[in-house]
Amino acid sequence: MNKYRLTTLSAILLVFVFVACGGGGDAKPAVETSAPAPVSESAAGGGAISGVINYSNGDPDAVIKMDADPVCLGLHTEPVETETIVADAGKLANVFVYVKEGVSGSYSPPEEAQLLNQEGCIYIPHVAGIMTGQKLVIRNSDSTLHNVHALPKNNEEFNQGQPFQGMELEKEFDTQEVMVRFKCDVHPWMGAYMGVLDHPFFAVSGADGSFEIDGLPAGDYVIEAWHETLGTQTQSVSVAADGAVDVTFDFASAAG
Amino acid sequence: MAAPKKTPDRHYNFRGMNAVFAWSSIALLVTTLWMVWDDYAKPWKRFQAEFRERERQQLAAEAETEKAKLNQNEVARIQQDVANEEVTLEGKRGEFDELEATLIKIGKNLYAADARSRTTKSLLDTERFQYDSALQSGDEERIAKRRAEVERLAAKHTEQRNELEAITELKKSLEAEIKNKRSGLADAEKRLAGLRLGYDSLQERVAKLDKKIDYFLLNAPLMDFVLPALKIDQVILSGLYNDINFTDVDRVDRCMTCHLAATRMGFEGEEWKQPFRSHPRPKLFLSASSPHPYTEFGCTTCHGGLDRATDFARAGHSPIDDEQKRGWIEKWGWEKQKYLDTPILPAKYSEAGCIGCHAGNVWISGSELLDIGRQLIDKMGCYACHKIGYEAYEDLPRPGPSLRKVASKISPGFAYKWISAPREFRPTTWMPHFFFQPNTSSEENLKRQEAEIRAIVAYVWSQSATGEYAPAPTGDAERGQDLFDNVGCAGCHIRDAEAKRDDFFPQINRLHGPNLIRAGSKVSSGWLYAWIKDPKQYNPDTRMPSLRLTDQEAADITAYLMSSREPAYENLSIPEVDKTVRDELILSYLENNFTIESSHAKLDKMDEGERNRYLGEETIQKYGCWGCHDLEGFENAKPIGVELTEEGSKPIHQFDFGHVHDVPHTRRDWIKTKLMEPRIWDQGKEEVKSYKELYRMPNFGMSEREAEAVVANVLGFTKAYVLKSRRADQNPETAAIAAGRKLITSYNCQGCHLIEDQGHAIKSVIQDVGQLPPNLASQGARVQAEWLFGYLHDPSSVTMRPWLDVRMPTFGFKDAQVNTVVSYFQTRDKTDAFLSTPTVADPRHRAVGRVTFGMLQCAKCHPAGPQAGTAGVTAAELAPSLLLAPGRLRHDWVPEWIKDPQSFVRGTNMPANFAKMKDGSYQSPLAQALEAPMFASQKAEMMRYFDSEEELTTFLSDPDQVVVALRDHIWWNLSSN
Repeated sequence: MNKYRLTTLSAILLVFVFVACGGGGDAKPAVETSAPAPVSESAAGGGAISGVINYSNGDPDAVIKMDADPVCLGLHTEPVETETIVADAGKLANVFVYVKEGVSGSYSPPEEAQLLNQEGCIYIPHVAGIMTGQKLVIRNSDSTLHNVHALPKNNEEFNQGQPFQGMELEKEFDTQEVMVRFKCDVHPWMGAYMGVLDHPFFAVSGADGSFEIDGLPAGDYVIEAWHETLGTQTQSVSVAADGAVDVTFDFASAAG
Repeated sequence: MAAPKKTPDRHYNFRGMNAVFAWSSIALLVTTLWMVWDDYAKPWKRFQAEFRERERQQLAAEAETEKAKLNQNEVARIQQDVANEEVTLEGKRGEFDELEATLIKIGKNLYAADARSRTTKSLLDTERFQYDSALQSGDEERIAKRRAEVERLAAKHTEQRNELEAITELKKSLEAEIKNKRSGLADAEKRLAGLRLGYDSLQERVAKLDKKIDYFLLNAPLMDFVLPALKIDQVILSGLYNDINFTDVDRVDRCMTCHLAATRMGFEGEEWKQPFRSHPRPKLFLSASSPHPYTEFGCTTCHGGLDRATDFARAGHSPIDDEQKRGWIEKWGWEKQKYLDTPILPAKYSEAGCIGCHAGNVWISGSELLDIGRQLIDKMGCYACHKIGYEAYEDLPRPGPSLRKVASKISPGFAYKWISAPREFRPTTWMPHFFFQPNTSSEENLKRQEAEIRAIVAYVWSQSATGEYAPAPTGDAERGQDLFDNVGCAGCHIRDAEAKRDDFFPQINRLHGPNLIRAGSKVSSGWLYAWIKDPKQYNPDTRMPSLRLTDQEAADITAYLMSSREPAYENLSIPEVDKTVRDELILSYLENNFTIESSHAKLDKMDEGERNRYLGEETIQKYGCWGCHDLEGFENAKPIGVELTEEGSKPIHQFDFGHVHDVPHTRRDWIKTKLMEPRIWDQGKEEVKSYKELYRMPNFGMSEREAEAVVANVLGFTKAYVLKSRRADQNPETAAIAAGRKLITSYNCQGCHLIEDQGHAIKSVIQDVGQLPPNLASQGARVQAEWLFGYLHDPSSVTMRPWLDVRMPTFGFKDAQVNTVVSYFQTRDKTDAFLSTPTVADPRHRAVGRVTFGMLQCAKCHPAGPQAGTAGVTAAELAPSLLLAPGRLRHDWVPEWIKDPQSFVRGTNMPANFAKMKDGSYQSPLAQALEAPMFASQKAEMMRYFDSEEELTTFLSDPDQVVVALRDHIWWNLSSN
């Protein structure tokens, strides 16, 4: 269900003043952004897949030009780097790793919502995973117009304007889809990706390139690592009950 | 053995006759039994019994799954509740018995009281009549007596009614008491039933399919006329004919007798094979809510076959290949139905069945194969030589270029080499190969063809206007390439030597115009420059539009195109041909009309030029060049090919398979072979036929896929078997849409625009979606008819998005054509042509509109002026200037659009500002937002027009009011600023 929820009067004012002063940040988080901790109805296992995403090229350090919207420009004192390739010391962040094949049983979505925050004229998080039926809260934390335009292939497309700071939109996806792209038509540099799965076995690589998927029952799985420009890679892994498997993906840009 | 004794009074052998009688009665009995059995043991019954059993098994399995899914603990718990309640009730048994006994007693009393009351009522009615008669008689005594009686009975009736009502009340309260005492149990039982609902309803369905004694009885031989479970399922289809013994009769489809799951869902899985599969795409076919419900269209209308048949072979199933044929013969006893003109179309071609009703629709949505074939017929120009008597193919422009001024465009040497083998110069070309085909490959014939080609060129050049073009100004090829890709050329043209036609399917819009490779070796830069600047100066009837290029732009594009060359095609002259052979050919034409002697005399009188031109004219006649090319002298010539309007029902014996024995004798195989190898039926006949009698159908270099797509269409060109009123293309709306689609196809609008979810071919070149030409969904509802009319005539009159590189070209349409397009959009979008002028909005709406326009930050994307391109976002993301709105948009559309843009144009960048709720309503965020102090001044501004805050809140909370206010702001405030 779509639902607009405006934070209270004072919160809006506070945030407005706060952001206008270059503070950024959100005064009253309605939802947690923590990694999903899904409730499983099927036999939850103790298996885990963890690993790291290596990247053999450097971070291109491209900077987003926000000149088009003075509000966005004013929100940052430092230049903002593009999030397409975020790599540090040969480790790649923002890679969506998930179990592509081998999951059986059905899993209920977690109670807590996944947040997609428009803050400082970028999407936070840039890449995330969400379960079918899980609540997605899309918030505009900026004092400028954003429109969140989701471009799914298997789910229903939507494009909703959020002209007011603090506005929230609630959505959920019914069908699996890796990945759903989000864009803002007002600010063409803004983009986010969300992997929609009907099980909780996914993770996004952090700044150090590491990721971990746990709670897996023993079994043979195919896992896929997805990156927005570098494509996908798959590996087969066998997870023993309570066993941990270490996996490494090596990405390189086509040009490099 | 002793001979039977003959008795004198009988002239026949008694015992012999006994034997005859005995045997004949046995034979009669056997025959009768056989007859009964034959009538009983129909093959379709086997299918029905099998399906029934399989369905039962599937349901039983589903019931088991459902049972397994039941939470057994829950069930046990509720069952325990039920048991507990039953025990509790049992404890109160004595109380209950007493209550129920009382209830029964009261029931009896109630009945008696009711009867008494009714009796008294009827007595009272009688007495009233008597009283009335007494009044008329005037007899005082009688009157008094009757009145007394009436009063007595009335009093009695009232008393009895009171008694009756008291008893009824008592009964009700007793029943309530009993129900109340049982409520615990009833509730527990209800919960149990609810929990088991899925399982129980499945079980019920299984039970229905269980074979009990009645099933066997009702389906037994001789008994099965009463109410059999296995029976023929048929549907009578009025207005959809079948030719039975030369009479058109309504179809009676019985296919469902065996195809039992066709109209049902849930039989799509691998395990379900024909005849037990669900029909694909139920939203489009057979389901009651689809456009083709089974009860109205049946099966054979589209699929072909014998409607009344209930037997596999007689129904006319057609195997697609030999392997399937062998399988069918073995499994179903298949045999060819010699006398059935329209056997069932094999699955691959079943879409051909659509054409019977949709021939005039041009695009048949949802059918890729038909659509590719339709585009091929259009591009290859089949209709130019073969009359195809359907709207979609009538009155189309000639598919090839005009040759009236060809001498000013290319050299005769180039023309000679091109005609000899067009695909060698340009592999994707639609121009077919007429010459040097397998049936004309003898040495003698090669010489004849060389003479013919030379003669064609000579004739065409003799008729063509000539002209010189000054060389093009110097251009920059790199800039030219950029323009070629982005300004719009790429919607219709490619420039790619590696391209194959097949790569472009299913949408071949970019092959609408020629592949522009090697242009530098074909035309002069001067001609090309003049042509792209103004195509109509070369050919007033061309469909190539003007992109209103500046001199520099045209020069740049010319430079880019001229840079692609193929030296082998440059500086060519026409090769010498064998004059003897040429003269023989000329004589063969002359001798058709003259004596041999005068033919020779005529030939002798001709000089070289005359000879070539004479043969050229005859050769053009022979190959029908004017079908595709506008040629002086051939304006009114009739096309030379066989008419294809009813090709799909032409009897198979009328197809000439020649001496070819490895092509199966089916219509589809003949047509496909003919398309791929047009001269094949001459195999082995080259010596028998004279040169002029050989097949002339040219070779289009069709791939198998192309040929099959065309076959699918041609198979659908059948005799009319659908009552005109039942065809999809026969009402004014569909006709207007069909006419529009025809023009849209002809001018390749979908090369650039997305229309009816098809098109945007230029997308493969223009990567930035913001730079794409618009999606024309809801165009009819969106813009004013007059505006669209003017815009299509002269797109340079308005520039909606000045920052776009791509341009709407000027086509130079005629009024009638523009009207067709306008009425297409309006009909498609169910809009009326004319609209009243909006009244000037009241100040309140204008004020709210102005304020909310600011609050919603509309100007972030919609620039303030027509030329402003810096409203804060990159050019490609900008939206049209709203200053243009009042003159361009329909004022009734704007509010609806603001309310829910996605419902008009899926994927549009225009965001929705009101959240759509599940019940279909919209929610406005404005009233709440206005509570924020940052909007205090806005609130104050609007409050000037409202009496109370409440009134303002109500206004702002209503999306329908807000969108109108926004429209009013755009209409009245913006434009007057």
